[in-house]
Amino acid sequence: MSHNNQQLIDAANKAILEQQTRRHFFRECVTGMGAMAMGSLLGGCNWLGSKDQSGLAAINTNPLMAQAPHFAPKAKSVIYLHMAGAPSQLELFDYKPDLQKLDGQDCPQSLLEGKKFAFIRGVPKMMGPQANFKQRGQSGAWISDHLPHLATVADELAFLKAVQTDQFNHGPAQLLMHTGSARLGRPSMGAWATYGLGSENSNLPGFVVLTSGGKFPDAGKSVWGSGFLPSVYQGVQCRSEGDPVLFIKDPAGMNRDLRKASIDAINEANRQTYEEFKDPETVARIAQYEMAYRMQIAVPDVMNINDEPPSIHDMYGTQPGKSCFANNVLLARKLVEKGVRFVQLFDWGWDSHGTDENLAIDYGFVNKCRSMDKPVTALLLDLKQRGLLDETLVVWGGEFGRTPMQENRDGKKMPFKGRDHHTEAFTIWMAGGGIQKGVSFGETDEIGYSAISGKVDAYDIQATILNQLGFDHEKLVYPFQGRSFRLTDVHGRVINEIVA
Amino acid sequence: MFLFAFTDFIGRFHPLLVHLPIGILLFTILLQWLSTKEKWAALQSVIPLGYLFGAASAIASCITGYLLGSAGEYDETVLNLHQWMGILTAFTAIAGYLFSHNQQNLKYIAWAILGLVSITGHLGGTLTHGEGYLTKAFTSANADSLAIKKPLTNAQEALVYADVIEPILKEKCFSCHAASKQKGGLRLDNPEWVLKGGKNGVVLKPNNAIGSELYHRILLDPIEEKHMPPKGKPQVTEKERILLEWWIAQGGDFKKQTKQLEQSPAIKQALASLEQAPVKLNTDLPKEAVAAAPIASLNILQSKGVTVLPVAKGSHYLTANFVNLTSLDASGIDALLALKQQLIWLKMPKMQLASADWKKLSALTNLRKLDLSYSNINQEAITSFITMKSLFYLNLVGTKVNGTALIALKELPELRELYLSGTKIATADFETLKKTLTKTTIDTGGYQVVTLATDTTLIKKQTTLK
Repeated sequence: MSHNNQQLIDAANKAILEQQTRRHFFRECVTGMGAMAMGSLLGGCNWLGSKDQSGLAAINTNPLMAQAPHFAPKAKSVIYLHMAGAPSQLELFDYKPDLQKLDGQDCPQSLLEGKKFAFIRGVPKMMGPQANFKQRGQSGAWISDHLPHLATVADELAFLKAVQTDQFNHGPAQLLMHTGSARLGRPSMGAWATYGLGSENSNLPGFVVLTSGGKFPDAGKSVWGSGFLPSVYQGVQCRSEGDPVLFIKDPAGMNRDLRKASIDAINEANRQTYEEFKDPETVARIAQYEMAYRMQIAVPDVMNINDEPPSIHDMYGTQPGKSCFANNVLLARKLVEKGVRFVQLFDWGWDSHGTDENLAIDYGFVNKCRSMDKPVTALLLDLKQRGLLDETLVVWGGEFGRTPMQENRDGKKMPFKGRDHHTEAFTIWMAGGGIQKGVSFGETDEIGYSAISGKVDAYDIQATILNQLGFDHEKLVYPFQGRSFRLTDVHGRVINEIVA
Repeated sequence: MFLFAFTDFIGRFHPLLVHLPIGILLFTILLQWLSTKEKWAALQSVIPLGYLFGAASAIASCITGYLLGSAGEYDETVLNLHQWMGILTAFTAIAGYLFSHNQQNLKYIAWAILGLVSITGHLGGTLTHGEGYLTKAFTSANADSLAIKKPLTNAQEALVYADVIEPILKEKCFSCHAASKQKGGLRLDNPEWVLKGGKNGVVLKPNNAIGSELYHRILLDPIEEKHMPPKGKPQVTEKERILLEWWIAQGGDFKKQTKQLEQSPAIKQALASLEQAPVKLNTDLPKEAVAAAPIASLNILQSKGVTVLPVAKGSHYLTANFVNLTSLDASGIDALLALKQQLIWLKMPKMQLASADWKKLSALTNLRKLDLSYSNINQEAITSFITMKSLFYLNLVGTKVNGTALIALKELPELRELYLSGTKIATADFETLKKTLTKTTIDTGGYQVVTLATDTTLIKKQTTLK
């Protein structure tokens, strides 16, 4: 018997030793030696206060605890509607009658010299607007017939007509738009906002992501990642069909008390690990376990659109039980109502190259418009009637624009009408959240090729969004690798021209 | 010519040489003081030598200083004073050498030199670094210089010289051509001086930009010595250049408004870019300061799951959100009422309270925004809320309030937004309400997005190729 026990203890000790990795050794070396050096330097004068205290204070601070921004905010939440693939501004908002006159003609050399396009080769043909435009509302904003519903709320919108980017591929352009860098590794806008504001509702994450269109955005989950921020700030991706958050349900046979007990035990173990290594990721892990436990109740409740009245379903054009953009838009409203700070919607399928019917300007694109028009309009009106539009910033846009030329992939004629990726001018609009109503800022030239005034870039948009949430984008920083990083890096200007 | 260049060259040694008499004389004074102690008495023998070297270097400084000063790029009064103080210092040092045998005299001389060196040194510093250099850290002038260019609110109404041109000169020229320095005898910090020009003549010829030195020098190749601002200093930007050209070409006037001068599109754009849309902050906050809220009450609310936060970092004004709570006990209500000074934004969606408790909330007189959507707020309670004189936002969506009770809200002078969708208020009552609450935008909701045939149909190639 005792022999058996001895065997067990040996096995356990061996397991512990195996757990000790090279990394542990280095950490102990560094922290141990550092602490010794520090201790001798400070001469035990208790200059830093007692060790216990500082450790406990840090671990009791929930990284998602709600926090106040730099100045009193105008917007409490953001709903960012990203049309992944980049919708054509020339068929929706940037009306260019002069482009119609050039329709079918060769593109002038002056527009091609020194320029690079994703797919256009040689000399493409110009392509006029493939939609009928009208001026809408009192503001007289040009909106095409593709968006008959949005046209009715034109006076709520603030257009940025001269947005520019320097990335002509989807992945890098989406990363730039949402993380402030075309390369991987930076925290996304929602992560920054959550880092700054925490979560107003302790039962829900501060940053929720919903995707539709059958595909993730090309940049993948990094567009809602936390980068070098603690991972607790990353976007929580929810599904509008089936379980909203995967792996959050208790398995059969496990009741909630048992779940609570095991989470408490895990957290206690993590707390000890934190005491030992002081890694902020451990705190993030504890917070995530606790939130997951609370989310088990709160998420199914908020993610259930079935309790909404039929009139609301009609308004949004939802398809209960399915996964679609309209359902996500309705969910976005519900989440914002519940205090979620940043809701990011990605709808894939706007990459209208003309390579096939679904990606044709005159077919697939029109259908995408139809699926987006009604729910987005409903969102604005629904937020308005609930008194939430003033404190909810709605942003609509893609990662870049599309060329005034018809795409000629590999120099050949395409089976369908399409436009290539275009970086020099595209349209993004904002509404609510302390943004002016019925205004337009920025202009493009007479064919919509380049921006001529009121140019803004991704950093300006990010600075403006942070500004509406109450942040000075230059001061919302996180120290990493020896310097303070911020979302807008060394760029960014708040677009005060559209701020109310 | 060569002689002039040579003296100029020698003069430029002044900034180097001046440090010798300062160091030598101060060290000699230190030794002199030490030599009064018995232990260091032997030092007495070196004191005369100290004054001798000090005097010699002071004389050399005076000579080079005179040569540098005659180049004429300095403020004359300060220069004069500096010169005579320097000469006096040199003479006093000589006196120190001559009278070094007399301990008592030497003591007075030491004090005199200490004073003279300090004063002369300070005056010299003022000449090189400009007026107020020493005390800059204590004056707000420091902050001013950072915000030289204040954005204009309306560039067309602005004064062409004072608001557009002078800020450019201030940023790019004043460091060498204003009160503290007048290189080339030119001062630009006042219209009179601008018109007067420098020692090479006038710099501004109205209606002739290219003939005006003030503008012409900017155009010179940066490697040329006469190019302004000198190489290495912040240069005039393209926008500033065209504005300067435009101003001179339009007559170089000092009084007119920009709109009185002819403007090309480029100028219009350059002027517009000086106009920065002012930063717009949330203005719906109380202006006066408030004491911090009682911590105990904050803790009670937080322990109940209420999110209570300052509206901004460092502010004592609070926002509270009861997003996860649908009821509140007596201690919670008391805690909330204890925040009546600080609480300005309150959200209580779906809150179910007893009628008496709702009425208690009328004590929250500092509220700006109040969201009671889908709560069980009743007529009586809402009538009692007329105490909230600063309230500008009231959300009663989905509540059971009726139109007649809301007439009382006319007592709220600031009420701008009232949300009433999902209530059972009759249309006729809405009309009365709209007539009574004239300053308030009443949103009765019920918006529809009609379903069009195109919303649910897909456009396909086959169907359109008929």
